[in-house]
Amino acid sequence: MSLNIRLVVNGRRHTAKINPATSLLDFLRDTLGYKGVKICCNTGECGACTILFNGKPVNSCVVLAADAAGAEIVTVEGLAEGDRLHPVQQAFIDTGAVQCGYCTPGFIISVKALLDRTKNPTAEEIEEAVSGNICRCTGYTKIVDAIQIAAERLQARS
Amino acid sequence: MAKAEYSVLGTSIPRMGGVERVAGAGIYGIDLVLPDAVRGGVLRSQYAHATIKSIDTSEAESLPGVYAVVTAEDAPDVKYGRTSNDRYMLARGKVRYMGDPVAAVAADSEATLKKALKKIKVEYEPLPVVLDAEAAMKADAPALHEEIPLPANLPKDTRVKNVCGYSTLHVGDPDRAMAEADLVVEETYETKMVHPQYLEPRIAATRHEADGRLTVWVNAQAPFGVRSEVSKLLKIPISGIRVLVTEIGGGFGGKATGTHSSAGLEPICALLAIKAKKPVMMVLDKAEETVSTTVRAPVKVWIQTGVNKDGTIVARKAKLIFDAGAYSGFGALAGSRCTQMLAGWYRTPNAHVDGYIVYTNKQVCGPVRGPGGPQAAFPVESHMDSIAAKLGMDPVEFRLKNIPKPGERIAGVPKLRDVSLGETIRVAAEKIGWGKVKLEKNQGVGIATGSWIEGSGPGGGAVVKINEDGTAAVLIGKVDYGTAPRFGIPMIVAEELGIPTDDVTVLNVDTDASPWDAGTVGSRSTLVAGNAARLAAIDARNQLLRMAAKQLEASSDDLEIKDRQIRVKGTPVKALALAAVATAAHNEIGEVIGRGYFDSKAVEAEEKEKGSSPPFTSHAAIVEVDPDTGNVKILKYVAVHDVGFVIHPQAVEGQIEGATAMSIGQALCEQVLFDDKGKTLNPTFVDYLMPTWNMIPKIETVLIKGYPGAGPYGTKGAGEIGCVPPPAAIANAICNAVGVRLTSLPLSPENVLRAIREQKGVEP
Ligand code: FES
Ligand code: FES
Repeated sequence: MSLNIRLVVNGRRHTAKINPATSLLDFLRDTLGYKGVKICCNTGECGACTILFNGKPVNSCVVLAADAAGAEIVTVEGLAEGDRLHPVQQAFIDTGAVQCGYCTPGFIISVKALLDRTKNPTAEEIEEAVSGNICRCTGYTKIVDAIQIAAERLQARS
Repeated sequence: MAKAEYSVLGTSIPRMGGVERVAGAGIYGIDLVLPDAVRGGVLRSQYAHATIKSIDTSEAESLPGVYAVVTAEDAPDVKYGRTSNDRYMLARGKVRYMGDPVAAVAADSEATLKKALKKIKVEYEPLPVVLDAEAAMKADAPALHEEIPLPANLPKDTRVKNVCGYSTLHVGDPDRAMAEADLVVEETYETKMVHPQYLEPRIAATRHEADGRLTVWVNAQAPFGVRSEVSKLLKIPISGIRVLVTEIGGGFGGKATGTHSSAGLEPICALLAIKAKKPVMMVLDKAEETVSTTVRAPVKVWIQTGVNKDGTIVARKAKLIFDAGAYSGFGALAGSRCTQMLAGWYRTPNAHVDGYIVYTNKQVCGPVRGPGGPQAAFPVESHMDSIAAKLGMDPVEFRLKNIPKPGERIAGVPKLRDVSLGETIRVAAEKIGWGKVKLEKNQGVGIATGSWIEGSGPGGGAVVKINEDGTAAVLIGKVDYGTAPRFGIPMIVAEELGIPTDDVTVLNVDTDASPWDAGTVGSRSTLVAGNAARLAAIDARNQLLRMAAKQLEASSDDLEIKDRQIRVKGTPVKALALAAVATAAHNEIGEVIGRGYFDSKAVEAEEKEKGSSPPFTSHAAIVEVDPDTGNVKILKYVAVHDVGFVIHPQAVEGQIEGATAMSIGQALCEQVLFDDKGKTLNPTFVDYLMPTWNMIPKIETVLIKGYPGAGPYGTKGAGEIGCVPPPAAIANAICNAVGVRLTSLPLSPENVLRAIREQKGVEP
């Protein structure tokens, strides 16, 4: 059995024939080639596969591709404008929050979603936004710095 | 200090490779797409201990879409191992833990692969299982490796079984000193198995090339180790194998010991590719990874210390039972480090420690971040607080009383040169507010220290090539997974060549081109590759200056490289473009290629003569314990480290914070659990708890100006030592908060609550 879906990824329209059991993560990575969406636990526990689904951060490994029919998806590949990185991406580099970098795309998406909602997040809001993202390398400390700097820069921009 | 002396060293430049990573463009192992590749997978043992009566692969082989099925029969009869050759890439005759690879399949899709693995029929005859290392040493325990003799260095008439390594330490006259001590304190401690749980799954991909060579892609920390083991296990000459390293999503030693850490994934993949006549890609899913790859070994420790009334340590005795798992793996090495560290890093004139490294039917010990360190420091530093309490002394004061002096020895370091231990303690105490901070009910403060012996090991090389545009390409044998190769190494090369860091590229390891290296392990990236890259850059600079000197009619000593020019110092008008000199090299020496080598023997010899300055650290924590749930919340955490000269402060802090958080995980929640048959109960991230954002406080890292180490410019290794103090620091803070001494990890709500209730005499 297969299913035809249409969806928009990073502003680009895609039409594809899918197996209804395929996860959105596998579809994005293997069919469409968005390898910036990372795979780790595949059980919704680590956040490496976080994407924006109609503006909301979700773990793409626990969503069916079929459920993304008609949806607007943003992956980490869709954040930069040309050569200009998104302020959240730049902040991760500037603060040393990127060690192996494997958690980074998922983290960046979660943080972007947060800062899209509020430019001045409280500690609780930050905790809630990233509590589903595991980083095994940094001990989160530099990521705290990254979020703070990104928020400051976005505030200064607006 | 750094700024004045150096142009880039001591600053925190953006990590090389950062842009790719934040843009999602870095190609990790798991992102590889090999044209025409089929999928490989492993059938693992369903028993923790059994003999294999027969394996029938015929049904699997006849499934459409199956390209190859392999068992031990398809591979040469060769064993591998680090300290003892006790393991086959695919089980032969016997399985010894539930992750043991038994057979493997290459198939056209994940679905066919799964089906085929199910169709392989293995007939097992189960054997008694032993999961506890202490039990495994007893006479009535089942033997795991009948054919492996007991270690030759075991003391005569030791009656033990399943021991694959023995390590010991003896100084002075501990029996007598213990008998004469004013106070003797004796305790037992235990730590549990944890998995490194790097986020990127382990992969292997292999293509049998048209010229007969094998290309193997790995996300491993020791590509040359993989090459030599694939060569040995498949009886293919080294020249017939090329190993390429992808970007790596974390490793922490879990991807380190050649094929050991992957339970033979790479040679199995190669065997499949040869038989299938197709490229094969294999990916371990997280659950399979937890049950099959290498772990931090669990230990049991008995520790006894004699002290005088004034708080002077006079003797230490300890016994370690180190659980190596089903194969010797890295067990004997990590176990021996742990044995040494149980003597502590304080002045201890009399000591005796015995370490038994023991086989059990569980996952195999690997060199996980600071192997043996946390397992030793949890007992040693908890014990220090217990002794201080018995003496009625302040824990900080007690520790400061026993700081070793330059010229003295501590375990693993025959002669100390400079000792920053006391300084780290004082700074940590001050930063945490020791004796001053106002603690609420159920809050407590704790301190613990640590050291890390920068294990001697092989040297390693570096090559710096100057391109005709004046930029540099650096070849080293170390891999980047957030460590020195793309933080400090480009800075070192830029500093010595006088070029911008943006002009330096550090290449991923390709065993056909990169200099040989033992692997990115042991906090040795900067020590080995940093020293080598520095010398290679100096060599390249000298070649450039010699060529320029002729043209500028100046002595090369008077020249400098600045602003992409080679010019006469003080007379900047007399200059040549660096690119022009590099290009001219084509007709003079071919290309400017600098070579450097880290001479570990020379460093060892120097340290033997002058002594060494190991890195020291003190961590201090304030915790709050919920007496109703047993939950421990860390309110404040300070990590003070002497890592010598700091090339990239942000990177060093990042390593320390990461190691600390990982060890906080081991302290508070992490543990691989088993049922009585040896089945892992919590293989997935759903059940294997790891620290998330809310569990880790913002770690305050303080890098004190320490003493120079053996690394370039006086650096010391920083990647592992952060793992050493956390469990004890937290346990000591818990004890301070609620008055219970926890002697077994993890300090989970359940265990803390039980301890509180037991102390109150309430039925748990
Ligand atoms: S891979 Fe989706 S949450 Fe871990
Ligand atoms: S940087 Fe490696 S997991 Fe976060």
